[in-house]
Amino acid sequence: MLGNLIKSEFRKTTTTGLWWGLMIPTVLIALGWALVTGLIGKGLMDALNTSEAEELTTIIGIDPSQWKVSLFGMARSINVATIFPMIFGGLAIANEINRKTITTTFLTAPNRVSALSAKLVVYVLWGAIYGIAIVASVSIGIAITSDPNTLPDASGWLALAGVGVLSSILMTMFGVGVGALLTSVVGTTVVLLLYMLIIENGIQFVLGIQGVPEVIGFLPNGAVNGLTGSVAASLFLSTAGVVPDDLVEVIRAFAGALGAFDWWLSGLIFLAWTAIFFLGGWAATQRKDIT
Amino acid sequence: MHDGSGRIVVQGLTKQFGPVAAVQNLSFTVEPGSVTGFLGPNGAGKTTTLRMLLGLVTPTAGHGLINGRPFHQLGNPARVVGAVLEAQGFHPRRSARNHLRVYASAIGVPDQRADQVLALVGLGQAADRKAGGFSLGMKQRLALATALLGDPQVLVLDEPANGLDPEGIAWLRSFLQSFARSGRTVLISSHLLAEVEQTVDQVVIISRGQTMYYGPLANLRDSQQSRVLVQPSDTGALVAALQADGVTALEQLPDGRIAVTGVESKQVADTALKAGVSIYGIQEEKADLEQLFFRLTNGQYTASGPNQYAGPQQPQGSGYYAPPQGYQQPGYQTPPQGYQQPVPPGYQQPPPGYQQPPNPYQQQNPYQQGQGQGGLGGGA
Repeated sequence: MLGNLIKSEFRKTTTTGLWWGLMIPTVLIALGWALVTGLIGKGLMDALNTSEAEELTTIIGIDPSQWKVSLFGMARSINVATIFPMIFGGLAIANEINRKTITTTFLTAPNRVSALSAKLVVYVLWGAIYGIAIVASVSIGIAITSDPNTLPDASGWLALAGVGVLSSILMTMFGVGVGALLTSVVGTTVVLLLYMLIIENGIQFVLGIQGVPEVIGFLPNGAVNGLTGSVAASLFLSTAGVVPDDLVEVIRAFAGALGAFDWWLSGLIFLAWTAIFFLGGWAATQRKDIT
Repeated sequence: MHDGSGRIVVQGLTKQFGPVAAVQNLSFTVEPGSVTGFLGPNGAGKTTTLRMLLGLVTPTAGHGLINGRPFHQLGNPARVVGAVLEAQGFHPRRSARNHLRVYASAIGVPDQRADQVLALVGLGQAADRKAGGFSLGMKQRLALATALLGDPQVLVLDEPANGLDPEGIAWLRSFLQSFARSGRTVLISSHLLAEVEQTVDQVVIISRGQTMYYGPLANLRDSQQSRVLVQPSDTGALVAALQADGVTALEQLPDGRIAVTGVESKQVADTALKAGVSIYGIQEEKADLEQLFFRLTNGQYTASGPNQYAGPQQPQGSGYYAPPQGYQQPGYQTPPQGYQQPVPPGYQQPPPGYQQPPNPYQQQNPYQQGQGQGGLGGGA
């Protein structure tokens, strides 16, 4: 029975143009960010490899030749691109309520729990599809512009790809929950974009100034950034040789993981945020009078 | 699981939207093998009732059962009941066939069923067109096709004639009748009796969320009595003579004529002759069903007691008239959306837009049948 509903929900997503309408900017943004951050990393490494800089780094006691700076670009690019699967998820229920197709959806399902469960499964799947596309685009982009020496090894890449796909899935579910709560297509899109791109960055800035960056790790965007950012930062540190303690925070900030916890803890925190919104949206939809 | 009877039972259904009582203690049964009309003015609570029956709206009290079960216990509900509801949406960029395939997979019927139902409703040629480009009539047909996907036993339609051209309405009429003749159940709502008069066998008439009449349409039709409109030279004399003959169902009309209910024009003329009253004009009037419907769904008439034509001798047959007291209950203060406010007993406020005669006939009509009017009223 649930299999039928999953098939139905999946067909809903493939019979309109939304999935590829959002996939195109996802891939372009992921690729573009990866290309640009790769260039920046290359520029940084070129600067560090000049003879004057080498003297300086030797004095400080670091060895930039082992710096996998491309990791930062990859983490940042993945973070930015997962905005799109989040929007895709946000429209899952908001669109159905807006188009009033939710009526037929509920009329053809044994109950709302099963209808929403089928949606959950399908959007986890879509989150993964978007995540794979993002990781692939980012990898291609970063490989084109980065110095090959700065690319992660296979296991490092696999780890980053794994958390990239995971964060894409979680962002999608986060969107589904917010969309189910707000039930408005425009409202959901605007709120998600404003919060993720502007509001939380403002909050993070203030928290950083106030000297309490550890709070950032508890915020939704801070937590989801921590997923990829922490992995990138720890991968970087594992090969970078001696890094002064003062620099560690700078490196985490570069990776987009300032104030964030370990990747698994960040993941759990974001999972909690996702669960709050998803279960809230689920409860609202479950009890809602469809008029 | 459900009992497979095809019977719809609505028991004590009530829905409160904030301060507004959309549906109040509504009860009726719809039997299989017939088309039942669910009638009432806009805002009477029809849509809310149907949505409660279909599990889309949670009732404040009471329940609606299909095949003896609430909607959510039907298992695969679309196999039991198909519904065409107002404001039931389509994704504008999804083609008709894809729309149906989405829901075919949810119900678990093969994809070919999508093309079958498209052909059934006459949309076979439009299968690959996007629903956003459909006319209102085509959307109604697509909604019906969706309802039929699971080959249901019960069909519930909310104002399905909206947007259909006359040809489409005629087609829908014959379709629903043949659907019901195969032993299945059809419940169809409308705010116009005339629209479904040719289609339905049974009617449930509601007004302000309450049942006003529930029974076969034929009984409702039979319950109407013709009345004689007569213009005498001396109104008082004719009234007295008719009263003496035991004719008490009299009413003075605003144009000066007297309406006599329950007799033939011949008898009125004979009485007038005996009384020495000249008759300037006489006319027999058969009140049509639409007028009766209007009266049943209009608080003004029902609030003053049993309607004047049907009179206290009604109801006949198996029809059921809801007791009118519901309107006068002191606790009932909610003005139904868009309709006249409940009025205190005895005061007959005209509803907006209704062509009320200039008064004072409702209040002071000396000929009005009923008790307590004194004088001419006599012993009805």
